[in-house]
Amino acid sequence: MDFDAIVIGGGHAGIEAALVLSRLDFSTLMITQNLDCIGKLSCNPAIGGLAKGNLVREIDALGGEMAKLIDRTMIQFRILNRSKGPAVQAPRAQADKALYALLAKHVLEQADNLEMFQDTVVDFIRDSSAGEIRGVITERGRRFTARTVILTTGTFLEAKIFIGEYSTSSGRLGEPAAIGLGKALRKIGFDVGRLKTGTPARALRSSLRLERMEEQAGDTEILPFSFSNSMGSIDRPSVPCYITYTTKETHRIIRDNIHRSPLYGGKIKGIGPRYCPSIEDKVMRFPDKDRHQIFVEPEGLSTEEVYLNGISSSLPEDVQEKFLRSVPGLEKLVILRPGYAVEYDFLNPTQLYPSLETKRIKGLFIAGQTNGTSGYEEAAAQGLMAAINAACFLQGKPPLVLSRAEAYIGVLIDDLVTLGTKEPYRLFTSRAEYRLSLRHDTADIRLLEKGYSIGLQKDKARQALLAKREGIDEIKELLRKRNVQEIDGDILPLLQKHLGRSFAHALKDPQVHMRDLIFCEGKLNKKKREWLDQVELDLKYEGYIRRQEKQVDRFKKMEDMKIPPDFDYDRTVGLSTEAREKFKKVNPLSVGQAARISGVRSSDIAVLLVYLKRGI
Amino acid sequence: MQKENLYNQDSITALASPWGESAVAIIRVSGRDSLSMLSGLFEGRAGSGGRGNSGSPPLTEAKGFTMKHGVIRVPGSGEEIDEVVVAVYRAGRSYTGENSAEIFCHGSPAIIKRILDLLYEAGFRHADPGEFTLRAFLNGKLDLTQAEAVNEIVRAKTDRARAAALSRLSGSIERKIRSIKDGILKILAAVEVRIDYPEEDLEEEIVSERELEHWQEELEKLVSTYGIGKILQEGIPVVLAGRTNAGKSTLFNQFLKEDRAIVSEIHGTTRDYLEGVVSMGDIPIKLYDTAGYKMPAHSLEKEGMKRTDRIIRASRLILYLVDASTGVNELDREFFSANQNSKTLIRIWNKIDLSKRPCPVGFFPVNAKTGEGIIKLSEVIVERVLGGRSLESAEPIIDSIRQKKLLERALGALKDFRTGLSENIPLDVLGVDLKEALDALGEITGEVTSQDILNEIFSHFCVGK
Ligand SMILES: Cc1cc2nc3c(=O)[nH]c(=O)nc-3n(C[C@H](O)[C@H](O)[C@H](O)COP(=O)(O)OP(=O)(O)OC[C@H]3O[C@@H](n4cnc5c(N)ncnc54)[C@H](O)[C@@H]3O)c2cc1C
Ligand SMILES: Nc1nc2c(ncn2[C@@H]2O[C@H](COP(=O)(O)OP(=O)(O)OP(=O)(O)O)[C@@H](O)[C@H]2O)c(=O)[nH]1
Ligand SMILES: [Mg+2]
Repeated sequence: MDFDAIVIGGGHAGIEAALVLSRLDFSTLMITQNLDCIGKLSCNPAIGGLAKGNLVREIDALGGEMAKLIDRTMIQFRILNRSKGPAVQAPRAQADKALYALLAKHVLEQADNLEMFQDTVVDFIRDSSAGEIRGVITERGRRFTARTVILTTGTFLEAKIFIGEYSTSSGRLGEPAAIGLGKALRKIGFDVGRLKTGTPARALRSSLRLERMEEQAGDTEILPFSFSNSMGSIDRPSVPCYITYTTKETHRIIRDNIHRSPLYGGKIKGIGPRYCPSIEDKVMRFPDKDRHQIFVEPEGLSTEEVYLNGISSSLPEDVQEKFLRSVPGLEKLVILRPGYAVEYDFLNPTQLYPSLETKRIKGLFIAGQTNGTSGYEEAAAQGLMAAINAACFLQGKPPLVLSRAEAYIGVLIDDLVTLGTKEPYRLFTSRAEYRLSLRHDTADIRLLEKGYSIGLQKDKARQALLAKREGIDEIKELLRKRNVQEIDGDILPLLQKHLGRSFAHALKDPQVHMRDLIFCEGKLNKKKREWLDQVELDLKYEGYIRRQEKQVDRFKKMEDMKIPPDFDYDRTVGLSTEAREKFKKVNPLSVGQAARISGVRSSDIAVLLVYLKRGI
Repeated sequence: MQKENLYNQDSITALASPWGESAVAIIRVSGRDSLSMLSGLFEGRAGSGGRGNSGSPPLTEAKGFTMKHGVIRVPGSGEEIDEVVVAVYRAGRSYTGENSAEIFCHGSPAIIKRILDLLYEAGFRHADPGEFTLRAFLNGKLDLTQAEAVNEIVRAKTDRARAAALSRLSGSIERKIRSIKDGILKILAAVEVRIDYPEEDLEEEIVSERELEHWQEELEKLVSTYGIGKILQEGIPVVLAGRTNAGKSTLFNQFLKEDRAIVSEIHGTTRDYLEGVVSMGDIPIKLYDTAGYKMPAHSLEKEGMKRTDRIIRASRLILYLVDASTGVNELDREFFSANQNSKTLIRIWNKIDLSKRPCPVGFFPVNAKTGEGIIKLSEVIVERVLGGRSLESAEPIIDSIRQKKLLERALGALKDFRTGLSENIPLDVLGVDLKEALDALGEITGEVTSQDILNEIFSHFCVGK
C-alpha cells in the first residue's frame, strides 16, 4: 500500500479529514483538483451562525481545525440571537476569504504524515470480491493505493453551472468539474442523484454607495470559536457589513425575465435548497413581499470585492446587472463575477452507516456536500467524523458515533443516514430535539474528552477542561451557599424579593443577571467570564434542561438497543413490506434509529423488538 | 402505538373483556408500580384478610395468584363504585411478566368506564393496542413461534380502534384537533424561523394575542365537551312510554333485534323498566322499556308507573306509543298536555295494521310487530337527539379521559407560552412549551416531526440568503 489513507478533495470536509488522519499518525494523501483552491469559501464569506456555529465549536472540541482557522482570519464577529435565548445563541464571523484559504493550505502543508497532490480522481481501485476499497486512479493515470479512502468532492462531481442561457461543465465558476468519478460510483451501484445550489454576484466595493445603506457593525467583544483560544486573545480587525433592500422595480425586472432562468426554464433538474432560495424563487413564491434584504459583506481586507448576500441568482448576466442596479446604493454597481447556479452529483446518504462508511464498499467513507448537505460547517463536521472513523477502521476499533442528545454533529449525521435527503441539507436548531443541552459554550464539556481519547486533543486541553469543570462547580457551589441579604437588596433592588433565598435561586429570575450579582459578591469577580456566563445559563434554564433530560433518558434506552448490521430482515416474519424495504435500505444500527425512519409503524418496531429479544 | 411507548415500564390498563353489557367484565393492569397504584382505589373486604377498611392488608402485600374481594372507591370522596374481585399476579409469574392484576367488576359500560377513569386518574396509561402481549414477549413470557402474531395483534387492534375512532363523532374531533394542531404548529414555525433566521426582517410580533386567545378558547371548548362525550359514550337515554298494551315492549325488542322484553296481550305485562343499548345512525342510544300507564291500577302497577315517570324525567327523548286500534284516550291526552311544550316527545301511532283510521297529524306511524316504519323512526330519533344538526356538522365532542388529559396538557402548555411571551421569556424556552402542546395533541392525532416544522417555515416565510 502506498498510503494508509487517501482523501479526495481539499474542501472543508477534506481539510478536516486529512488533518485528523495525519495527526493520528496515518500516512495520508490528499488529492485535489487544484492546490490553490484548498479551503475556498465557495459562497458566503462567513463561518458560523445558527446551529452551524455550534458545529464549529463541536469540531473544535473534538480536535478539528475549522475554529482555529476562522479565529485567525475573521474580519467581523457577532453573537446572533443574544436576546432570543441561550440555547440558540450562536457565534458567527465574517472571514477574510483569501486569508482563510491560504491559512488552511498552509496548515495542511505543515502537517506531518500528510502529502498533497494536484490531480483529479476518476475511478477507484477495489477488491470487488472482498467488497473493499484499495485505492484510486487519477485523470492523469496515476494509481495510488490505500486501505481507506475518504471521498469529499463537494459540488464538483459531474457538475454544471448555469447563468441564464449559458451553461458549462464546472464545479465552481472558473474551476472545471470533476468528470468520471460520478460515473464510476454509478457503475459500482451507488444511488447517485442531482442537487442544485446557487450563489450571488460579487461586486466592486467602490462602485457602491454604501452611505445609502444601513451599516451593521460587529460585536466589540470577540468570543473565540476555539476553546484553545481564551477570551480577549483574538486580535482581529472588525469591518462593517451593509444592509439594503430590493425594490418593486427589482421584482418587476425579475418577473419579466423569469423565462430566461435556467431553473424556471427547466434546464436545471437538481433540487435546490428551500432555506437558501434564489432571488427569483423569493420573488415568485412570495409575491406579496415587497422587499427582500441584501447584506453587502466584504470578502476580505486585501480585496475590493464584496459579496451580495441574499440575492443568489442564475438569471442571465444582463438581467442580474439590471435588477441589481434597481436597488438603493447599487445604482452604479459593477459586477466582478456574476451569480450562478451549480448542479452536481450527490450520493443518497442512507447508503452510509452512521460512521459515514459506505455500506457497499468497506473502507470507503464519504463526507461533505457529496452526502447531500450544504454549508462549510456541515462539510467540516462530516470530514472530521469520517476521518475519525476511518482511523478507527484502520485500528480495528469500533466507530465513534455521536448521539442526537450529545451533539449537533450527532443530529446532522443521524438525519442524513436515517432519513436521507431530497434537497441540500442544512442544519437548523429546530432539528435538534435536545437543543437546550447542545449550547455552543458547552461543546467542550460535551465532547473534548472524546477528542482526547481519540488522540486529537493534547493533555493540555484536557487539563484546561478539568479546570473549567472545577471552576464552574465552584461558582455554582458559591451561588448556592450565598444567600441574598439586606445589603444586596440595597445594591440591587431587584434582589429584594429574593431576600433569604440563595443567589442560585435568584438567578432564575429573568430580570436578575450574573453581571449584577458580581457587584454583590466580590468572589465572583475573580472568576473567568466564560465560566460565569456558562453558569448563568445553566442555572437560569435548569428547570427546562431537566425536563429535557428526562426525554433524553427515554431516547437513550432506544438507542442502546442495538441491531446487528447483518440483521436479516427477509427472515423476519411479520414486518410490513414497506418497513422491510426501508429497514433493508437504511440498515439501522439501533432500535431508536429504526423508529425514526419515516413510514415505519409501531407494529414493525414491535416485531423487530421481538426478534432482537429472541436473538434471531 | 406511540413508538416510544414500546420501551416504557410505566403502568398500563385496559379492558380485557368485550365492551358492552355483560355479567362480568375484566379490567387488566400491568406495570412495576401497578399494584401500589391500584391499592389507592381498592378497599379489601371480609374474606380477603379482614373486615372493612381496617383489617385487610393492602394489595401491595398480596401474594401472587391470590384473589382479593373488595370495593373500588373514589379516593377522596370515598364514593363506592363497584364491588369487585381482584386477582393479583407478581412480576415474573404473570402474563406480562410484570406486577399485574385483573379486576373483575360488573359488566355495565357505565361501571367499566368509571373504573377506567379512576385508573387513569391514578396514573395508569391506557394500554396501546397489543401492549400487554408485547410486554409479555419482551419479558420472555410468551413462547410464540411466530412474531407475525404480534404484528397482527397490534395492527388489527390498531386498525379496528382507528376505524372505531374515526366513525361516530370522533371523525370531527380528529378534524378539530388537527386544526388546532396546525394552528399551534404555525405559531411554533413563527418562533423557530425567528431563531434560525436572526437577520431576516420579520415582523416584530410572532403571533397576535387574538390568535393565541382563539386557540386557547378552542382547546377549552373541546375540553368542556367531555361531560357530553361521556353521556354519548354511555348512550343517550330514550324512553318508550304509553298505556299498557300499546306495544312498547314489542317496539323495544324490535330496536334491540332480540327478544329481551316479554310481550303479551295482557295489560301490564311489563312491571319494571328494562334497558338496552342500541346504535342508531352511529349514535349510542340507551333505550328504556317501561311499565305502561293504566287506570285504575293496583299498588304493584302504581309502583311500576312511578318508576316509569322517573325514567322519563332522566331521558332525553320520550317515544310515546298509542295503540291505533284503540286510539287516543283520556290518559294519553293527560300525558300530552303534561308534556305539551316538550321538544323531547315523539308520538307514535302503533299497530297501523289493525286500524283503518288514518294516522293523526303529529303522530309517527309504525308497526312494531313487523318493524314497518322503524327505520324512518330511528332517523327521526337521531335527528331529535342531535338537535336538528346533522352528524357531520355536529360539534366535536371528546369522550375519553385520555383525550381530555392530553387536551388539558396542551392547553396548559399553550397558556405557559402566552405568559412566557408576555414576560419576554427567551424564544428557545418558549419553543419548549409549544412543542409540549404539539406533542400532547400529537398523541391524539399523530406526532409532529421537526420536518413538519421546517416545512411550515419554508412555506410561510420567505427567508434565507
Ligand atoms: C455555487 C455555490 C453555491 C453555494 N451555495 C451555498 C449556500 O447557499 N449555502 C451554503 O451553506 N453553502 C453553499 N455552498 C456550499 C459550500 O461551498 C459547500 O457546502 C462546502 O464548501 C462544501 O464543502 P466540501 O468539502 O464538501 O466541498 P467543496 O468545498 O466543494 O470542496 C470539494 C473539493 O474537492 C475537489 N474535488 C472534487 N472532486 C474531485 C476529484 N474527483 N478529484 C480531486 N479533487 C476533487 C474540488 O476541487 C474541491 O476543492 C455553495 C457552493 C457553491 C459552489
Ligand atoms: N298487530 C299488531 N300487534 C301488535 C303491534 N305491536 C304490538 N302488538 C301486540 O300487542 C300486544 C301488546 O304488546 P306489548 O309489546 O306487550 O305491549 P306493552 O305496551 O309492552 O304492554 P305493557 O307491557 O302491558 O305495558 C302483543 O300481543 C303484541 O303482539 C303491532 O304493530 N301490530
Ligand atoms: Mg310491555
